[in-house]
Amino acid sequence: MATDPSMVDPLAEAETAPPVVEPGQRKRLSKWRLYGRRFTRNRPAVGGVVIFVLLVLFALFGPLFAKYDHVELDFLALSDPPSPEHWFGTNNAGNDLYAMVVVGLQRSLLIAVVVATGTTILSAVIGTAAAYFGGRIERVALFVIHFLMVAPTFLLLAMMSNSSGGDWKVIALVLILVSWFFQARTIWTLSLSLREREFVHAARYMGVPGLRIVFRHLIPNIGSLLVINFTLGVVGAVMAETGLSFLGFGVKLPDVSLGSLIGIGASSISSSPWMFYFPAAALTLLTVSMALIADGLRDALDPTSAAGGRA
Amino acid sequence: MVVAVTNLTYFLAWAYLDPRSNYVGRRPPLSEQQIVNLLEPRNLDDGTPLLVRWWNWFSGVLFRWDWGVSPTGQSVNDQVAYRMWISAELMLGATILLTLIGIALGVYSASRQYRVGDRVAQGTSIITMNIPIVVAALGLVLLAIAFNGAVGTTVFYVTGASSPGVSGFFPTLVDTIQHLTLPTLALVIVGYAQYHFLQRSLLLDNIKSDYVRMARAKGLTKQQAIRKHALRTSLIPVTTQVAFSIPGIFTGAVLTESIFAWKGMGQYFIETISKNDINGVVAVAAFGAVMTAIGAILADIAVVVLDPRVRVS
Repeated sequence: MATDPSMVDPLAEAETAPPVVEPGQRKRLSKWRLYGRRFTRNRPAVGGVVIFVLLVLFALFGPLFAKYDHVELDFLALSDPPSPEHWFGTNNAGNDLYAMVVVGLQRSLLIAVVVATGTTILSAVIGTAAAYFGGRIERVALFVIHFLMVAPTFLLLAMMSNSSGGDWKVIALVLILVSWFFQARTIWTLSLSLREREFVHAARYMGVPGLRIVFRHLIPNIGSLLVINFTLGVVGAVMAETGLSFLGFGVKLPDVSLGSLIGIGASSISSSPWMFYFPAAALTLLTVSMALIADGLRDALDPTSAAGGRA
Repeated sequence: MVVAVTNLTYFLAWAYLDPRSNYVGRRPPLSEQQIVNLLEPRNLDDGTPLLVRWWNWFSGVLFRWDWGVSPTGQSVNDQVAYRMWISAELMLGATILLTLIGIALGVYSASRQYRVGDRVAQGTSIITMNIPIVVAALGLVLLAIAFNGAVGTTVFYVTGASSPGVSGFFPTLVDTIQHLTLPTLALVIVGYAQYHFLQRSLLLDNIKSDYVRMARAKGLTKQQAIRKHALRTSLIPVTTQVAFSIPGIFTGAVLTESIFAWKGMGQYFIETISKNDINGVVAVAAFGAVMTAIGAILADIAVVVLDPRVRVS
């Protein structure tokens, strides 16, 4: 009687060789391969990654091709349309717009990444710690969160960054300060159920200190949410920063960001529209590509999502 | 909470804004005494102790509902009362339109999940939702200028809420529409997608539920089942969201108003900060906080009215 080799109990019939799973017969996908496959199946998301990488490369290596510095003035070319000499044209003072867009993109990207990182870390630690420790820590954290929710944050943002004199580090710091708490509240609600799970109880009864439970067990479990929050945070930070700079409350000359460039372009939009086209295109590509990436990540990381098809 | 926030804003505003700087460096230069004489009656002189200034302001609000004056002497009450309606004129139409479009698209794409229509609608919405409002608004301005140039007359006005010297009902109506179209379009383009995604995911949750399958089993067509059973339940959270956004009609849109030069609340917000108008800043913050609170109350009321499962004792 021939038995199916996979049906043999390796403990009961130790003499026979243990069943070997043929490689390639039924491959187990690793976690990352699975995520990668689900992500690449989402074609807009892949497009978003491509656009975003191109933008980053442009911000990093764009200055190598620039013929002018962004503060350098070319008095022979005032308000010139795009030409071989000035690829994106010049403004009314003779600044080369190509150099300004590259610098502005760098600035906007830097602020966005710093803000998104800070916001994600701060919200993750405070949200999970508040849920895990409970008691007084939780009450204090929630009080601060609820207070900030009612506070006129955009006003604070405008006043504080206005008085900072346009230093991008201050703007980034203030942006972190006014944007962490919404995410922290979501994470707190999620962690409430997480802290009642068996592995957390087990860790606690094994004597693992509280902070280590937070960092080793709670935060990794909301990892996919944090990744998505990070990408959406980049979009939000870019929008907030460019909005502020557009109004003149954010990054100030001689430093430029995409927002302040659009602000300058807006004042002369009918006479020299290229002043608006190029920074606006860079900004839109940046936000849209990041949003597409976030959407793809959500489908790839969420086990209940069916948008990416099977597996 | 609102009162506490407002008072805190008052102190914060004093920490960051300096009305005195409006008068320093003027030509011809004003003497110290002249500046004090200008600021003192407006309760904006930083020579008087902060607590005294605060009490003057707070008692004025408390007992006379007087929110103070700007550094140039305009009443903040008048400004807010006037600008509120300008913002409302802009935001009312936009809010209605973007809600309706968003919900309609959400229903459409939920009932055709993962088919071409749904994919296209979702892709478009992701893109439009993430176009910065500044870019959308200025892009529309460029298009409108090109259009006006092509037609030969000014069809769309790109600045202001109305032209001077227009009277009569129909000329005023036409004039208003000419000014309203562009900012409304900009707001709708970037705003509708949130309702699209919300409505779509909520409706999908309901379409998969047992009572909708039951309705289908009774012999209703898919359209009927969605309209009569799934849509009704899924509209409740959407309505809450809409109710929450209604007060936003009066607080206005900062960027849109400043691009299209509408003198509404959003533009007032920028103006007060850049002109060191402390009383104005605080009034804007308080107005915003009250409107948020009203929004929360409206949302609660909407749930109670619409959802029979919620009972208020």
